[in-house]
Amino acid sequence: MSEPTLIDARERVTGRLELVPDVALPGMLHAALTRGTRPHALVTRVDTEAARRVPGVKLVLTGADIAGLAIRGHFGPVLRDQPILASDRVRFVGEPVAAVAASSLAAAREAAALVEVEYGELPEGGPTFRDVVLNRGDGGNVCNHFKIRKGDVDRALDSAAHVFEDTFSTPAVQHVPLETHACLASVGPGPEVTLWDTTQTPYAVAAHIAELLDIDASRVRIVVPSLGGAYGAKCYTKIEPVTVALALAARAPVRLELTREEEFVTVTKHASEITLTTGLDTDGRIVARATSCLFNTGAYADIGPRVIKNGGYGSPGPYAIPNVRVDSYAVYTNLPPAGAFRGYGQAQAAWAYESQMDLIAERLSVDPLELRLRNLLRDGDDYHTGERLHVCRWAELLQSSAAAIDWNGGQAPVRANGKARAKGFACVIKGQVTPSTSTATVKLNDDGSLNVLTSSVEMGQGVKTALAILASERLGVPVDQVRVSGVDTAITPYDQQTSASRSTFCMGTAVVNAVDDLIWKLRLLGAELLGAPAEDVRIEAGALHAPEGSRSLADVVRGTRAGNVIGHGRFQTEGGLDPETGQGVAAAHWHQAAGAAEVEVDLETGKIDVLRYHTAVYAGRVVNEAQATLQAHGNVAFGLGQTLFEELCFDGGQLRNANLGDYMIAGSEDMPRSLVTETLAEEGAEIHGLGETALPAVAPAIGNAVARALGCRISSLPLTPEKVLRAIRDREAVPSEPA
Amino acid sequence: MDAAREIELTVNGEARALDVSSTDTLLTVLRRDLALLGAREGCGVGMCGACTVLVDGLPVSGCLMPALAAAGRSVTTVEGLEGRNGELHPIQQAYVEHTAFQCSYCTPGFVLATKALLDGNSDPTEDEARAYLAGNLCRCGSYVKILDAVLDAAARLRAPG
Repeated sequence: MSEPTLIDARERVTGRLELVPDVALPGMLHAALTRGTRPHALVTRVDTEAARRVPGVKLVLTGADIAGLAIRGHFGPVLRDQPILASDRVRFVGEPVAAVAASSLAAAREAAALVEVEYGELPEGGPTFRDVVLNRGDGGNVCNHFKIRKGDVDRALDSAAHVFEDTFSTPAVQHVPLETHACLASVGPGPEVTLWDTTQTPYAVAAHIAELLDIDASRVRIVVPSLGGAYGAKCYTKIEPVTVALALAARAPVRLELTREEEFVTVTKHASEITLTTGLDTDGRIVARATSCLFNTGAYADIGPRVIKNGGYGSPGPYAIPNVRVDSYAVYTNLPPAGAFRGYGQAQAAWAYESQMDLIAERLSVDPLELRLRNLLRDGDDYHTGERLHVCRWAELLQSSAAAIDWNGGQAPVRANGKARAKGFACVIKGQVTPSTSTATVKLNDDGSLNVLTSSVEMGQGVKTALAILASERLGVPVDQVRVSGVDTAITPYDQQTSASRSTFCMGTAVVNAVDDLIWKLRLLGAELLGAPAEDVRIEAGALHAPEGSRSLADVVRGTRAGNVIGHGRFQTEGGLDPETGQGVAAAHWHQAAGAAEVEVDLETGKIDVLRYHTAVYAGRVVNEAQATLQAHGNVAFGLGQTLFEELCFDGGQLRNANLGDYMIAGSEDMPRSLVTETLAEEGAEIHGLGETALPAVAPAIGNAVARALGCRISSLPLTPEKVLRAIRDREAVPSEPA
Repeated sequence: MDAAREIELTVNGEARALDVSSTDTLLTVLRRDLALLGAREGCGVGMCGACTVLVDGLPVSGCLMPALAAAGRSVTTVEGLEGRNGELHPIQQAYVEHTAFQCSYCTPGFVLATKALLDGNSDPTEDEARAYLAGNLCRCGSYVKILDAVLDAAARLRAPG
């Protein structure tokens, strides 16, 4: 039997993996929320009378009641703009207006449905998503504006041989972790608060809950077992403040688990509309690019201001461009809040810049591969944030992807039996969150086994296994002698967040540094034990060696009566961008990927089949091959759904498809029958995260293939059969014959 | 809520008597009353398969089936697959060896759907397996490895002895 490739594999196949919804406390109450039904209205009356009469109901809170509790009323990771419960007005359909705690979940949900909310109309006619009004005040709708200013874009565009302006859009979608958000809050005794919480950012949640309660952050303890998927949805505070408020008021532990319908309106991916104005010289080199990026951030900021920064700095793409202007906006609308989402704004950007690259190639009659190769970033180039780039592998990744689908220049689509086949590709850049901090502790036990204490959240990416492998290699102990903790902020040391494809690199480096610290301490102990100078003592292959003799690590711990030996490690990255020019260091290093697709479009029904997909990512170093492959597969499945069918459909602010019957995600039948993953690794290279890297290429690679198959382009995702048929109809209405 | 009624059913080979209401689903009863946590709610409308359990050997969505409808029937959850000494079922073993999961919220449902597939068809083609499992969703997108595990499990179960 081969070794399992994940250290917690057994729990995973037996259903015994502990998850937040499985945790219960004695005397625990169940919570349910009443949600607003208007996109923008005054709340004139909240009647909780009938709800309170439901047997088993302990209490019902309204926005007005929050003011009487020892908790601040508004939360949010960047701006404190989101009310725990709406009191004077609601700003999106689904906003929590009242909260119930009851002895059973059924009673809580029944009572929540009985809360009556009366609304007062507000005048219509504020700025819409597309009318960007900068000064927020009463009439504005811009949450924030990110800029890059490099060179003289206007002059370069004026003198360019060719200038093209195109607009592309992507819809709001939802992460759909199969495990919805859940939180169990226990308050007291004293000012102690413990949350069992589905969060990717335990330390950020602890700090924010402490701020809301006006207590020291160390008084808030966040426990995170494993998560049933997250994809960015579980970053920063969401349902924690209302759960804590209920627990405070009820003086009992309270558990809130969202229904699927509620999950859909809790956090979404930013819908986007991105316009690229690109100037090229006669050799097909891009001389200037201006981007205008509108990101629909919904009714509250959440982490939108950071998402639009990354989407903004990613919007010119992985190309060496001397003159760049980026204007990226988070725009408030009366829709559910948009927040962190796998790809972090850069997938929206990639849909725009890689679609435009193919359009430009077509207009200039250049091979789209050749056009990209002429412009891709190479070692020593400066990115448009001003940072010097090293280890640029885009050209290699793109060429290998194009070769994998047998690309040989501007192939015409193959048409037969009412179907058209064609190929396409894309290459993408994604930054890593910078600056950031990770810390780790390792504990060597007197049986020679090692505990790794970390606040990295296991959510299916296999971080526990990756950290175990890295610790095991560094110390020379077998992987099965390494145990990796879950998260408990009362015990496990600081980590900034489990997101941005950063854990294997950042936390992995912190763990390696912790093992190095441990090794130094073991050498001192070994010197003491063997009576040797510390400089003569080495740790090799999991044992201690000196000229005076060798000892197992267990013997060192026991022989010195050390109890156990602790090592501590830290890893920090530095950077940041100037707020006016966007110049500085955006990313400690950059994630690089390419993808290539062959599609078959049914010209009668508009259905798109992705026949094969090749994904190529720069890994630097692969720590766990199985998990690296799974991340690539997962990104393709995730991207495929967003390319072909995922879209939150709003009707007057009301989400029409908030269930998995009407909102489709990719199933086994949707996967390309041929799916090849390529991970580029190099001797001595830095680990590059793979959690999102392959994702942004998927939509434009498929989109470029579909455009080639149809002879015309659909500029908005998803590429539904309806849009395909409309595109065919519109194309046939004009006389020009597609290539 | 209406009054509780007592039902008798078999869960993982053991006879159980439970008080359930007409609004309780089988999933609720398994999780709330029997602390069997492997079946999980994903969508609540029978679309994702995370709550799949076997009732008289056939896969059902635990989130849709009224608990009252399970009276007198035999329910198998993922907790019922392991051997007497905790050894993994060959299907579970194949999932482990192929790393056929990521977050694994969906895994118990997939494992049970696989069991139902292989109980009825010991040698499915890849297309048959893919089609059979279309009712189970894996948002992490581990489908390729899941199919590998399913076909490998089929081969193991066919192998003599």
